[in-house]
Amino acid sequence: MIEHELRATFARHEELAPPAGPVRAAIDRAVHRRRRRRRVGTAGAALAAIAVALVGFTVVVPRPPESVRLGALPASPTPSGAVNLLLLGVDQAGANRRADSILLVHVPADRSRLYLVSIPRDLLMPRPGGGEADKLSWTFGRASGETGNLTAGYRATRQAVDRLTGVPVDAGAVLTYRATRTLTDSVGGVQVCLPEPVRSAHTGRRYPVGCQRLDGTEAVDLLRQRYGLRDGALDRDRNAARYAAGLLRQLREQGTATSPVRLSRLISEVAPTVTADTGDLSLAALSAVVASAGGADPLALALPVRARENPTGYGFEPDPVLAPSLLEALRADRMAGWVTAHPAQVTRLR
Amino acid sequence: MTYEEFADARLGALLRYAVMLTGDPHQAQDLVQDTMVRAQLHWRRVARSDAPERYVRRMLTNQFVDWRRGSWARRVFLRGEPDDSVPASTDHAQSAVDRDQVWSWLSGLPRRQRAALVLRYYEDLPDAEIADVLGCAVGTVRSSISRALATLRAEHVEVC
Repeated sequence: MIEHELRATFARHEELAPPAGPVRAAIDRAVHRRRRRRRVGTAGAALAAIAVALVGFTVVVPRPPESVRLGALPASPTPSGAVNLLLLGVDQAGANRRADSILLVHVPADRSRLYLVSIPRDLLMPRPGGGEADKLSWTFGRASGETGNLTAGYRATRQAVDRLTGVPVDAGAVLTYRATRTLTDSVGGVQVCLPEPVRSAHTGRRYPVGCQRLDGTEAVDLLRQRYGLRDGALDRDRNAARYAAGLLRQLREQGTATSPVRLSRLISEVAPTVTADTGDLSLAALSAVVASAGGADPLALALPVRARENPTGYGFEPDPVLAPSLLEALRADRMAGWVTAHPAQVTRLR
Repeated sequence: MTYEEFADARLGALLRYAVMLTGDPHQAQDLVQDTMVRAQLHWRRVARSDAPERYVRRMLTNQFVDWRRGSWARRVFLRGEPDDSVPASTDHAQSAVDRDQVWSWLSGLPRRQRAALVLRYYEDLPDAEIADVLGCAVGTVRSSISRALATLRAEHVEVC
């Protein structure tokens, strides 16, 4: 009896349901807003997480990630294994943007330290569809297209790095000149220690041997230089690692990583200029992973390469002996052993 | 199945389902909107499940039942409990008032019990599927429903 009345009551109230059209539009607008907010928010938090990790302090990221509860699904657990992050430094805006600095940040499972592995941008990559090989740095521009879509460029580069190295990338970020400039100025300049003098082909500015503090404009200028360096783009990658080490030292000395107020100010200044992807990891998990990898200074190295003749010009291929063993060590999380066995491959940071 | 195909096919049904749960068109819209925003942001995960519709219905139901946790709940607080804003109309025929009393009694039920009733008597789902949506045992579903029916029957007797 009451069951029958229930069915009738439900049926009668179907007409209360609002029309689907406007609801659909409202959903799409909300998704658009959330995606934009999420991109900025995660960028800042991911950046902070990386910085915190490199500096070696455990802090609470001041702006916690938006918690997205999805039905009855459990939250992504904090990964206990190795984690790999991909950082891309791209050149100035416009069509055919290139990823000139490609850095794989490896966090070992024992969280003993961070490994900064540069991947030379002039590596020749077989094209997915066959045909002549072209450079890894071009992958970014082909995907980002005329509009300079950083997310598309990041994704394509990530796939290329994945194919090349077999190292699974868990999360990553794209840094533009503007992001680097903002970041550097926000922390009050970064000290970079150079083993060779550099003269800027763009501004004529000279950067002498030894340690010097650079502001945002100078840092970007230095990080763009490869002409006149003995190893060209490979030496530029080493300078990028020196900059990263200096940035982290600066954050540590300022106490930025241990001060939630300072960290949140830094994040709010830098976040709008960074595009980040946290993959399947929740930000909390990502922060926990990188924050626990503190203690020692980071170790910088590069994927070993050798020059290769190519119809389209100059390029590299992975060193047939050293590269496979390095990649195997990355995949198997045995970097400490590899570095001990190959001390000459480690970049001097200061 | 893409998100667009899913929304084309199922959004209307989800809105009707949400009306039955909340008893209020505005809250139903909020509930569906919230759920579908999350579903779209995580569509890959939703599409990987064997039945996206069941997955989204579970998300929506959880959101409704766990009302203290979600943002939707905060809006519920601001607006007051369902039906508070709708004054009982005295213009209806007596039979219509009687019938709509069942509707207003529903709002007095605990959310989980109401959801179980809607799933059985509106969505016509078998108890096993109701248990899956609510994330509990089949026995729990049956006891929730029989308790809910007993409450409604008691109200019924009082009025008559």
